[in-house]
Amino acid sequence: MSSTEQGTSSAAPAEPTTAPESAAAPEVPESFYYVHGKDKVVHKVSAGALQHSALIHGMISNLGYTEEQAKANPFPFENIDGDILQMVVDWCNQHKGKPTPPEDTNLPKQKEKLFDLVLAVNYLEIKELLTYCCKQVAMMVKGKSPEEIREIWMIPTDAEDEAAEKEAKKRAGKEAAGETAAAAGDAK
Amino acid sequence: MPINILSLPVKDLQYALDCMDLDDLLAFSLCSKRAKNLVKSSKVEVEKIYAEVDENRINLKISTSQLQKWIWYGKRIKFVLCEDFSIKFKRVDGFQKWENTEFTFNHLIAHFLSLSNTSMIRKLKIKNGNSIAYLDTVKQLIPKCQFLKISEECSREFTKIAFLKLSSIGEIVEIDNNPLDNENYISKLLSLNLKSVIFNDFVNPFKLTLDDLLGLNIARLTIASINITERELNRFLKLWMKSSHGFYRPEHISLLIRNGINRAEVLRGIKYQIVDNKHLLKRADGKELLIDIGLRYVIFKFRQ
Repeated sequence: MSSTEQGTSSAAPAEPTTAPESAAAPEVPESFYYVHGKDKVVHKVSAGALQHSALIHGMISNLGYTEEQAKANPFPFENIDGDILQMVVDWCNQHKGKPTPPEDTNLPKQKEKLFDLVLAVNYLEIKELLTYCCKQVAMMVKGKSPEEIREIWMIPTDAEDEAAEKEAKKRAGKEAAGETAAAAGDAK
Repeated sequence: MPINILSLPVKDLQYALDCMDLDDLLAFSLCSKRAKNLVKSSKVEVEKIYAEVDENRINLKISTSQLQKWIWYGKRIKFVLCEDFSIKFKRVDGFQKWENTEFTFNHLIAHFLSLSNTSMIRKLKIKNGNSIAYLDTVKQLIPKCQFLKISEECSREFTKIAFLKLSSIGEIVEIDNNPLDNENYISKLLSLNLKSVIFNDFVNPFKLTLDDLLGLNIARLTIASINITERELNRFLKLWMKSSHGFYRPEHISLLIRNGINRAEVLRGIKYQIVDNKHLLKRADGKELLIDIGLRYVIFKFRQ
C-alpha cells in the first residue's frame, strides 16, 4: 500500500513516503511520479505502477519529466476523490509488473465507492481495473428481479422518464423564449 | 446505497452489461424502455420464443445467445406462468417467484417479442392439457404463433377441443393424436379455414372420404396416416378435372396411406402427362394438378 501525506498542496508537495517495492525489485533505479486528487493529498507512485493508466503513461511520455520536476508538479486529478485515487494507486502498486488475475477480490464492496471508482478508472484509462469494476457492477444485480434491479441501479420507470423528458422540453422552451426576448430587447 | 448506472459513460455501461449473465440481462431489460433499448444494442440476441402448456401452467422458453470474446453462447431462458397467475423465473439456483410483480405474462411475451424483432411466438405446444377452460386463457395470452402442436399426450377429447379452439392461432397446426372416434367428424376439422395442418398418428389412422377431400378448406394438408380407397381418389381427380367446383382452396395435399396404394387404379381413365416422373393433369380452365404417387403415399400439388 502506498503511503500519503495529508493536506499537501500540488505546488509544493511535502516529502511523501515511498510506495512499497514489489518483492522482485528492478535492478535499475525506478523513477517515481506524483499524483493528487480532489483532497490534494499527494501519492508517490512508481512509473511501473502508473503504466496501468494509459492516460498517465501518455502524460509521462509526452512531458519527459525528471524526478525533480515530477515531484514539483504532481499530476492533478481534481475530479477524483482522494479516497478513490488512493484505491486506484493501491491497485496499480499491487499489480505492478504482474499479470492481472481473472478476478480481483480486493475491489470495494460499497456500491457508491464502486461507482466513483468506475468513473475514475474510466478517466484514467486503466483497462484491467475497469474490467473488474464493470464485472463488480454487473454482480450487484445477479439473481435480482426487475423491480430489485431498478432500485439498486436507480433506473427510472418509463413514466418517470417521460415526466423528466417533458420537464426538460418545458425548460428548453422557456430558455429559448427568454433568449428571444433578450435578443428583442437588445435590438430595441 | 443504490448507484445510478444509467449515468455511467456509455462505454462502461455497455461493458457492465456485457459482463452480465443472460438471465440477469433479460431481467434488466424489463426495468424500462431505456433498459430494453440498451439490451437490444448489446451483444445479445433473443432468437426464438417457445411456449408450452403443461396442465394449467404455461412455460415460456426463450432461446437467446450472447457474444463473449468472439464466441456466441446460447442459453434457454425459462419463465413459468403458474396456476395462480404468478410468474416464476428460472435462475441458476432454481426458480425465483416474482411476488407482487408489476409484470403480467402478456407483458413478458410482448416484451420478448419486441427484443427478438419478431411478431409472434415460434411454437406453442399443448403438452398435457386437462382443463378446457384454460384453453381460452391460452388463446388470450398467445393470440398468434407460427407453429401450434397438440401433443400425443393429450386425450382424444381434449385434442379435438384444443384443435377447434386454438387452430386459428397457428400458421401451421400439428396434432399428434387422432382425436376422431367418429368417422364424420373429420369433415368438420377439414372444412376449417386454415393455412397448414398436419395430422400425425401412425397408430390410429384417419379415415378420409371423397366428400372430405371435396370439402377441404385447408391450404396445405398433410395426413399420416389415413385409410382411403383408390376408387375415391380416382373419383376425386375426375371431379376436379371436370371443374365441378370452380374454386378449390387447397394448394398441397400430402397423404400417407396406411395400406399402400395402386397408382394405376388412382389414375384409371384420367388423361395426364408425365413430368419428372410425376403425373400432370391439366384442366380446361388452365389449372393444373401435379400428382406424385408412391407405394404408400400420394401428393397433390395444385397450380392456379
